[in-house]
Amino acid sequence: VVSNRFVGSSVPRREDDRLLRGQGRFVADLVRPGALHVAFVRSVLPHAEITVRADVARGHPGVALVMTGAELARHARSLPVLHRPDAAFVEASGFVMPDVSMPVLAVDRVRYVGEPIVAVVATSRAIAEDAAELVEVDYEPLPVIHDAAHALGDDAVVLHESAPGNLAAALCFEHGDVAGAAARAAVTVEDSYRLGRHSGIPLECRGVVASVDHRRSRVELWTSSQVPHLVRRLVCASTGWRTDELRVAVPEVGGGFGPKANVYSEEVVVAVLARLLGREVAWLEDRAEHMVASAQARDQVHATRLSVDQAGRILAWEDDYLIDVGANSLWTGGIIANTALHVLGAYRIPAFRIAGRAAYTTKTPVAQYRGAGRPEACFALERSLDAAARKLGISAVEIRRRNLLDRTDLPHSRPMPYRDGVPIVYDGADYLACLEACVAALGPEAVDRVQADHPDRLVGYGVATYVEATGRGPYESASVRLTPSGTFAVAAGSASAGQSHETTLAQVAADALCTDLACVVAVNGDTDAIAEGIGTFASRSAVLAGSAVHLAATELVRRARHLVAQLLDVPAADVHVTAGGFRAGDGRHVGWSELALELAPGGRLDHEPPLEVLHRFSPPTVTWTMGAHAAVVTVDPDTGGCSVVRYAVAHETGESIHPQVVDGQIVGGVAQGIGGALFEEFRYSEEGQPESMTFADYLLPGTLEVPDVEIVHLHAGTDRNPLGIKGVGESGTIPVYAVLAGAIDDALGKTAPRMTATPMTPEVVRASLRTVERRDR
Amino acid sequence: VKPAPLEYVRPSSVAQALAELADDPDAKLLAGGQSLMPLLNLRLARPSRLIDIGWLRELDRVFDDEGSVLLGALVRHRRLETDPLLRARLPLVAEAAAHIGHRGIRNRGTLGGSLAHGDALAELPAVMVALQATIHAESRSGGRRELPADGFFLGHYTTRLQPDEIVTWVRIPVLSARSGWGFVEFARRHGDFALMAAACTLQLDTDGLVVGLRAVLVGAGDHPRVVTTGEELRGARPSADLWSEWAGRWATVIEGEDIEYRRELATAALRRALTAATHRAEGTP
Repeated sequence: VVSNRFVGSSVPRREDDRLLRGQGRFVADLVRPGALHVAFVRSVLPHAEITVRADVARGHPGVALVMTGAELARHARSLPVLHRPDAAFVEASGFVMPDVSMPVLAVDRVRYVGEPIVAVVATSRAIAEDAAELVEVDYEPLPVIHDAAHALGDDAVVLHESAPGNLAAALCFEHGDVAGAAARAAVTVEDSYRLGRHSGIPLECRGVVASVDHRRSRVELWTSSQVPHLVRRLVCASTGWRTDELRVAVPEVGGGFGPKANVYSEEVVVAVLARLLGREVAWLEDRAEHMVASAQARDQVHATRLSVDQAGRILAWEDDYLIDVGANSLWTGGIIANTALHVLGAYRIPAFRIAGRAAYTTKTPVAQYRGAGRPEACFALERSLDAAARKLGISAVEIRRRNLLDRTDLPHSRPMPYRDGVPIVYDGADYLACLEACVAALGPEAVDRVQADHPDRLVGYGVATYVEATGRGPYESASVRLTPSGTFAVAAGSASAGQSHETTLAQVAADALCTDLACVVAVNGDTDAIAEGIGTFASRSAVLAGSAVHLAATELVRRARHLVAQLLDVPAADVHVTAGGFRAGDGRHVGWSELALELAPGGRLDHEPPLEVLHRFSPPTVTWTMGAHAAVVTVDPDTGGCSVVRYAVAHETGESIHPQVVDGQIVGGVAQGIGGALFEEFRYSEEGQPESMTFADYLLPGTLEVPDVEIVHLHAGTDRNPLGIKGVGESGTIPVYAVLAGAIDDALGKTAPRMTATPMTPEVVRASLRTVERRDR
Repeated sequence: VKPAPLEYVRPSSVAQALAELADDPDAKLLAGGQSLMPLLNLRLARPSRLIDIGWLRELDRVFDDEGSVLLGALVRHRRLETDPLLRARLPLVAEAAAHIGHRGIRNRGTLGGSLAHGDALAELPAVMVALQATIHAESRSGGRRELPADGFFLGHYTTRLQPDEIVTWVRIPVLSARSGWGFVEFARRHGDFALMAAACTLQLDTDGLVVGLRAVLVGAGDHPRVVTTGEELRGARPSADLWSEWAGRWATVIEGEDIEYRRELATAALRRALTAATHRAEGTP
């Protein structure tokens, strides 16, 4: 009998010792003396035809190579998209997505500020930047596309020939008698909701270091990424190299959040340059580049209509949304689908019509960012519920109480398939109970206490719920091997950008192997460690990689048991797993190190193959989590400045491998939600120029802006993976925008114009108050 | 973000620094580097040469005189904020300094650097104007001269300093008895550049009536704006209503973009700063 000893326990994180001592090795730490450095010439206009002359730059002392887009085209093709939904999903939703690939280096035309045009390789980054200034790019400006609505209008220039009308993707789900339900409604609320353009901002920017391993006749590419296997797939697709001609690995990664779950031009270019030059080549993104060249996100506008009866029960829900994916995106299909699949939330909704469109504009490409389409969906639905509650004269808590799925409804089917083609069934426990747990932790009565402490401030309470599909396939693989010294080497797909996989995957393996944690070493994030994998994003690594490790280790134990039986000459049924090894019915004990010795040359089992198991885990479909968040916010009536002073989270979750890591994910998620709700925005000027170019313009929340977060865990297991795990990486972010908007509205009072867009800056909040003051005057 | 090629020199005296500066019109002085280094790295500033005066200990001294304090140009923000003597003698400066950036920035940024840089949204220029400080400057060609802080700041990054001049010392008067001060800053987050800030000084007579008043706004234009020197309120009795009324009037100096919101911020900042100054002058909490 194997009992859990490490899973569920917050053991010391293996990563912490080296990271806290400053001994972590990030991509910039890998660059060896003598490496060549790359600086990119990037577009300074949002849309233009270009002519490039690089002769002067080529002659600059210290320059090894200058590569234009036309020259690169001899070595690499443009990048294909990273995700297309399953055929069943396409069929059910009428999903369309024109075939648009991502140029590696721009040729003849640029489509956003920051788009790479030329790569300059020199003996140092400073010299490369000096030479980059000598590259002459003539720009013939073309019209700018400001936003998605503009892009889809008749007067917009077409950005990609293969995408007429700038439509990047579209889908529609319809169910029930929407028109009839709306006609019966006691209250109908219509509005437009916008989540602004912002993104995950990792402390460590991106970076790529590549060199040629002549012995293995291949390129080794180290990149600060969440998806080394996808990087390998796309670099090979672009260059035509075989998989065995490229190793991709990630070192320590200082934050990912989604923008690093993407594949970028720079990865292709640096790989090609290393192979051409036969030298180590490094590109280390600086923050000025990051603000225009790393993927941005969100940027959705939802036109909504919610119809409810006299009791506030939802009759029909309609949402027509637009996504600005920027000049290009490898993840359009995932984002537009995610929004549609989560916009029904955690509620009973008898009729709905969900229509989404994504459009190309002359802005930086978008990718997934923590939540990836879900915060936008949540904002539209939860804000609509708040609007209906206000009209009905009931509280934000009450309207949710009357609509949430409870234990009699769950598991609950939705009349639509997930992106994997499998019909959606929420495998939750009791969403109403989750709301009540959140309200018990932080209820509307908390406003009075906060008001007493802040007599000069307006104080408000907000609450919102979400659902999240986690643990998406198609698969993740893992291997477990008994080493000659009797310890275990574990390798898995996925890649840690701070999620502590080294510790958590070892915990899973140690439990399955019934061995001590110290006997297990787990690695991931390396195509050499495991041949096939996907990566870390979509709240999937604990579910997918964790399950793959568990199943591989379990199978290794089964095989080992037979070997031990052979060794002891007893039936396998008579051999039992015990701490550190096996025990036969007669009391004889064989430890793992003893078994390893017998398997080694000269041992009694040396004719047997090495004890190593490779397992690929594919879940039947996603597993759903749900949660409720509440906040108390204070507003300075003079300035409109908002402070989040209390915050509580209750969520349904499966088993926790490492509770402290889970809490860290949730708190970090809430912090990023606060950032997006109140501070962060990539702004663009009328001329299409990016205006958020430094951290003086793009404001991140710091320790003073993020309160303590109270967390209530409610168990809701799942049978969709062997560990009973649900993903937790993104959920903390999803409802924060809606919660804070509700709290600010509550603070401003029922007659103030509502919050309908982010970021909710002091100026926006103050404008709402000013409207009330004028009206009252 | 690497600077364009440049030369770097580190003079060992003010005289040597003045000579270096006089010899190269394209040179730039480097002290704490908290404004200049980002400009260099973004290649927005491309001096031929950096003259690093950050090591000149002669300018990192403080003299506590009768009625004023004389501060070397290289005194760091963090010292203004935390030094017990300076906190006691120049509490308005200490309060303003605490709003500059983050601790790491305050550890390096210098008083003279901030004044010479002349950022329209910086705190120290405004409090120097509020306190009627005197800025000492020196050049090889022109020798030493003293410039009143009020009038020193001309516009964005523009001051009365000549290209070959170095800010060497700053003399700041200390407030008299029955005086109060206020400093209120609105920023998106602590440490950000001000959306709006107000600095003020207030002197009351023995009856509690206004005898002196100066108030300065940061964020109201391209340099610190003196919104009142107190004449209109001489003999008035401070009260919440008085400050509300006059703060609103003074805020109308603001013109340009977002005028409505910026005037609201200015009104609130002035009102709160004057209220705090009144409490301090009256000795009430």
